[in-house]
Amino acid sequence: MTSAQEFLKNLKETPRNLRESMLRVGHAPETDRERSQSTFHNLFLHLQSVRTHRASLRFSYTFGLGLILTASFAVLTVTGILLMVYYKPSTDLAYQSLKDIHYVVPAGRFIRNIHRWAAHLMAAAVFLHMARVFYTGSYKHPREFNWLVGLALLVMTLGLSFTGYLLPWDQLAYWAITIGANIANSPREVTDALGITKWFDVGGFQKQLLLGANYVGQEALIRFYVLHVAVLPLAITAFMGIHFWRVRKDGGLSRDVTAPAVPAQIAGRDLNVFAPTKTYGLMAVVRGRTPVVGRAPEGSVPSWPHLLWAEMAALMFTVALTLVLGYFSDAPLKEMANPAIPENPAKAPWYFLGLQELVSYSAFMGGVGIPSIVLIGLGLIPYLDRDPRGVGKWFGGPEGRGVFWRSLLFGLLSVLALLTFTVNFGWLRSWFPQIPQLFIIALNPGTVIVAVYMAWSLWVLRRSQSVRMSAVALFTCFLAGFVVLTAMGSIFRGPNWHFYWWPSQWPVH
Amino acid sequence: MKPSSDPSRTYKWATLVCAVVAVGFLFAAAVRENISADWRRYQANYKKILLAKATDDTARRTAERFPIEIRQVTVPTLGAVDRCVSCHNGIDDPRMASEANPYKTHPKGLLKIHPVERFGCTVCHQGQGAALNFQEAKAEDYFWDYPLLPASLTEATCNSCHDPDALPPGAAAKLVRGKKLYFEKGCASCHKLDGKGGSLGPALDNVGLKTKHQFMRAQLQGSQTVWNWMAEHFRDPAKIVPASLMPAPALTELDTQALTVYMLSLRQREIPSEYLARDKIEEKYARLHPGEPDGKTLYQQYCASCHDTGLFTRWDKKFGRFVPGIRNSAFLKTEEDECLLETVREGRPGTRMPGWGPKAGGLTEKELSAVLGYLRTSAPFQDLPPAPERGSAERGKVLFNHECAGCHGTDGKGLIAPALANPVFQKAASDAFIAQTIRLGRENTPMPAFGRAGISEQEIGDVLAYLRQWEPKGPPAQRAGR
Repeated sequence: MTSAQEFLKNLKETPRNLRESMLRVGHAPETDRERSQSTFHNLFLHLQSVRTHRASLRFSYTFGLGLILTASFAVLTVTGILLMVYYKPSTDLAYQSLKDIHYVVPAGRFIRNIHRWAAHLMAAAVFLHMARVFYTGSYKHPREFNWLVGLALLVMTLGLSFTGYLLPWDQLAYWAITIGANIANSPREVTDALGITKWFDVGGFQKQLLLGANYVGQEALIRFYVLHVAVLPLAITAFMGIHFWRVRKDGGLSRDVTAPAVPAQIAGRDLNVFAPTKTYGLMAVVRGRTPVVGRAPEGSVPSWPHLLWAEMAALMFTVALTLVLGYFSDAPLKEMANPAIPENPAKAPWYFLGLQELVSYSAFMGGVGIPSIVLIGLGLIPYLDRDPRGVGKWFGGPEGRGVFWRSLLFGLLSVLALLTFTVNFGWLRSWFPQIPQLFIIALNPGTVIVAVYMAWSLWVLRRSQSVRMSAVALFTCFLAGFVVLTAMGSIFRGPNWHFYWWPSQWPVH
Repeated sequence: MKPSSDPSRTYKWATLVCAVVAVGFLFAAAVRENISADWRRYQANYKKILLAKATDDTARRTAERFPIEIRQVTVPTLGAVDRCVSCHNGIDDPRMASEANPYKTHPKGLLKIHPVERFGCTVCHQGQGAALNFQEAKAEDYFWDYPLLPASLTEATCNSCHDPDALPPGAAAKLVRGKKLYFEKGCASCHKLDGKGGSLGPALDNVGLKTKHQFMRAQLQGSQTVWNWMAEHFRDPAKIVPASLMPAPALTELDTQALTVYMLSLRQREIPSEYLARDKIEEKYARLHPGEPDGKTLYQQYCASCHDTGLFTRWDKKFGRFVPGIRNSAFLKTEEDECLLETVREGRPGTRMPGWGPKAGGLTEKELSAVLGYLRTSAPFQDLPPAPERGSAERGKVLFNHECAGCHGTDGKGLIAPALANPVFQKAASDAFIAQTIRLGRENTPMPAFGRAGISEQEIGDVLAYLRQWEPKGPPAQRAGR
């Protein structure tokens, strides 16, 4: 072969060789073995294991929520980077740059709408995902730590949303963050009541740390911008990596290991062979049992194509959903931020309105106290509930299902009763105007409902003699409380945080 | 593998459907933004108009090369980025005078003296200059602080750079009329402007910069705009602002508009001095160096709203008390200049009468004297007969509660009649003045002449002694003994 011929041949084969060098596989895989190899050889594909258990693929088990979260984060990243190109993080320019994104940047308004809807979707999905993981007992050994990583991701997701809220520098942003800053300042409610603010001012310190000043201004804007576009996305990406890695290392998605083995049949082949004691994975020692080499493990199917298509569907669904919502509904942009004209009511994003409702009773309890209790409680769940039974089944079986429904009913009714009482009769301050604030911090509708829920959960514990059932009861109650308080804050609260049946009843101004 | 046994079939279909929806909406968004945008349609039509109007080859070539693109006027010094010209393409082209909106030339040739590239659009018209569709540019039901001014009110913004009084006759007629009405109707009696005016109502210095959120709109019937608030408020102030003391200024519709224009024009915007008309600078200078004041005009501007002609005492329903007739000759005959001046300067605490001195109402000493001069045109001060010796306060109290408290209040704080336990009154009114008022009463007011009803000089002295117990404590007032 002459060198000229060789040159031409190489040129001709370049596309094929490029693909091979890039994908490490020469052609589209045709057999399960080749698919497994492709999975190993690809950075993105190797995030999933080569084989996936059928139980993990069941839609009604996961509802694809983790995938939707990942996908919406991807959508947020892409649209966020596009928005960053035009956004100017300065109090003088931010609002005008938003207007330019709206009116003259090609597809700017659409991209911002998608960003906003993906953010809402991510916040909603993160709560639902947590509920799914909880109710299927997926936090249990050996997945305790991943539950904690998940909690960190929840907090970071909300942090991303909160920091993004300020960036448009409109009235909505300005006053919502002013409220947020006052919540950071709320430990003062306690230190003031104790008269120790002069020496020990946690609240003031937190507020200063958040805003870089005593008011929402340029320092706060640049801080929120850095958090929103750099610190939190990087942190959340790292934690997502850990989260995924732990899912793999902890034995994939949780499933009911006690369930009778159902022979997996693919194309008529019986794949039901399992090595009961083998403890070696392909690359490392792993927990749990692994399949015999050369045979498929019980109930599992190749990830390619089964899992891959499910993932693709979830990703595409998320993209399509955010596009449709973004097409029809514009992200709000109110008047430019004006410290002289307070928004009334100034409302945080919807997922914080439950907290804002609690804050309206006591800033400290609502903004710091109760959220801390909830987070610590959530973090302790896998370490307190170590009963290995019921993993991989919704509510852990029929008994849990019953506890769930009863707790849901109890949780809804008690929070509704308490809110009805509060709206109609007021609270301590309306009856005893001179009462010291410490009493109200300790005893307000927020702390009362927490106490009622805890009492309910203890009662369930005594009756069922099961920590798991008690945890289901408490979690369900808090979920019910969260939903009702969020609805209360978003729909039924108007100017001066007064109760209204509908926003159309709000007095103008 | 048969398709029916493919467990990922559902997901493949789901992926396909979602992908089709996603691509479809991307396509729809592209069409919405790039093809069906209003401004593109308007520019295409404008191009046709240009071609139709082209008379020679050069014009035709220019018209054919007319690019369809977003246009904007940027005026950094005024903070304006106005994209209005994306639709109003012919705004400074005189050939478009007979076209319909949005192609039409700007009326009245105003752009000749206000070139659009130097002024932009929103500096005069307000509205959201960034917007590319009319609904959001007009911004009336939109989150925007300063929506497009209706054509009937655009003159409001002339005041930012011009002195309305120095404009050529006929220009900004409503603004000129509104400014005149402001002073004619005595708005300044209760509202401050540039530090001058009463204090019963809010100061109006920047009222044109307020947004609708700064007004109480609960009772507003029509559109939720600042100008509609002004109009409805002028028709019936107490309806829009419950418990408002403001009397309805009784305006024709045109005058309502004029006054609204003037209100909207009150704005202290930072405007670079190169934009200010020469007369605006002169107006500012004149305000700092006022000429000789005219007492009668000042009375009209600052006093007449409450005191009316001042010839009679009048009953004010909203105040719930009599407003003294300060140009009433009987009153003036007994009132010394210094006493009058002190009352005007300091006001009457406890009543609705505010102080008008330089610190409170912003009138200069010169202007106060001019007002006094005007009051004095009704009657000069006549020397008062001396007051009787102050007698027994105890007897005075009995008499006061019997004869005077009905109107002046047992505590002397005033019911329908002036407050006597008022420090300014106590400081300003001499014994001789009080005694004479008790003797002869006050013509044209309900204050009767007790002297003619048999009250003796000694009894007057007793009442005097009682009244003086309300004198503010501290160093003895200088004039009290006279």
